Amino acid sequence: MDIGIQILVIVFQIAVVLGGVLTHIAYLTLAERKILSDMQDRLGPMEVGPHGLLQPLADGLKLFFKEDIIPAGANKFIFSAAPILVLVPALIGFAVVPFGRDSLFLGDIEITPYIADINIGILYVLAFASIGAYGILLGGWASNSKYALLGGLRSAAQCISYELPLGLALVGPILLSESLSMKAMTEAQGGGFWHWFIVVQPVAFVIYMICAIAETNRLPFDLPEAESELVAGFFTEYSGMRFSLFFLAEYGNMILVSCIAVVAFLGGWQAPFSFLEFIPPIIWFLAKVYFLLFFYIWLRATVPRLRFDQLMAFCWKVMLPLALVNVLVTSIVKYIVS
Amino acid sequence: MLTGKKLFQTIIFSEILQGLKLTLKHMLKGNVITEQYPHEKPQLPDGWRGAIVHLRYDDGTEKCVGCALCEAACPSHCITVISAERPDLPQKRIAETYILDMTKCVFCGFCVQACPVNALASSKEYELATRDKRELVMTKDTMLTLGDKYFPVREKRPVYSDARMDLFEALKATGFPKAEKGHDS
Repeated sequence: MDIGIQILVIVFQIAVVLGGVLTHIAYLTLAERKILSDMQDRLGPMEVGPHGLLQPLADGLKLFFKEDIIPAGANKFIFSAAPILVLVPALIGFAVVPFGRDSLFLGDIEITPYIADINIGILYVLAFASIGAYGILLGGWASNSKYALLGGLRSAAQCISYELPLGLALVGPILLSESLSMKAMTEAQGGGFWHWFIVVQPVAFVIYMICAIAETNRLPFDLPEAESELVAGFFTEYSGMRFSLFFLAEYGNMILVSCIAVVAFLGGWQAPFSFLEFIPPIIWFLAKVYFLLFFYIWLRATVPRLRFDQLMAFCWKVMLPLALVNVLVTSIVKYIVS
Repeated sequence: MLTGKKLFQTIIFSEILQGLKLTLKHMLKGNVITEQYPHEKPQLPDGWRGAIVHLRYDDGTEKCVGCALCEAACPSHCITVISAERPDLPQKRIAETYILDMTKCVFCGFCVQACPVNALASSKEYELATRDKRELVMTKDTMLTLGDKYFPVREKRPVYSDARMDLFEALKATGFPKAEKGHDS
């Protein structure tokens, strides 16, 4: 296989993954509105297309044609760079997610169900997720607005705090699969749902889910954009396309953390029973991701926002010790068993 | 201090689980209360006070006698009545011009109550938005048309006795005595 075809294959993979992710982001916004409205006995968007199915298109068009406002006194360069700095890490993480088991063969050209199988895949995702917090902080600071600044500061504090238990929660699956590669991690969980890491690592899974919600600034941890106190938080001053980049990043991050949770705890593309393996692996993967995304929205419809000191105390006094104990116990048990 | 049961409930997030159960129940029940307004119209209750309309008798003549009591009763001064004598029935009057400015109307229904001959009524017409404000200044004709739309069942016209009709005819022949300038009686 010569280098030209190889590059073509990679570009094709990137296009498919990016296209798929962006479509999912668009329809996740609609799904969120629909599920929220169902839970609140409303109908949600109904006008654009049958049952509002084309609403994401209309929203996108509206945002695209909106005026791009840069507030007076804002740092123009950082102000325009911040949304990109938020969106890129959210999308780049999908490069290492294994979506399925089997490669697609076109003659002797192999198209793998992941863009790259890096042997430090989880570390790579976590590293880029941290860069996203910079975008939020810089966007809040560059806006020259007190609400945006407060939102950015809160976001920085929250992201840094919750990244610790998030990373520690992922240490459990890493120890069990003895690999940082997401592909190897998935393969270590084969052969029925009792091999999934959620069975042996339930505490780590709960910690991971809570931290993931906090990382993506979702309710009940959406303090950086708490609309009742901070107007819209760090993107108060953003409008039009720049705002939509933040919006895309938020939902992209939601999908990304769900993908990682599925790979690390729910067996990735593995079927729960061996007799269900005739269903394509990618469908299992998507079904698990959809369930987690539904859970996010479900939680949003249910719980109110926390106070900021509660948020911090919960992270440092509950989550971090629990995660540390979990790592310790997992390592000891793993050492004794093996 | 946390008791054993309380501690267990805290660990499994029992309060959040209860909340999740409630929201899921609402979602699965699918009991939607939203009204898709422009597509489905609301069922208005009787006694709805929409646009004020004029009514007719069963023979198609209008009820209004031009007494202008509605004009007096109107708290927002949106009604203007100029009455005139009916040429076919002397002594009887009619509203020559009747203007109801819907931009000022507060839909209180006082005019309906004030009317001695029940010529006015509150219809269920509520979609009054328009691109031209002048369309909202309603004349007697537009109000009669609206009244025909909302009140198809009409009241019977009272019949005058023969003696009254004779008087009317006599007056028509001689002409009704008019007060002239400078006259005392």
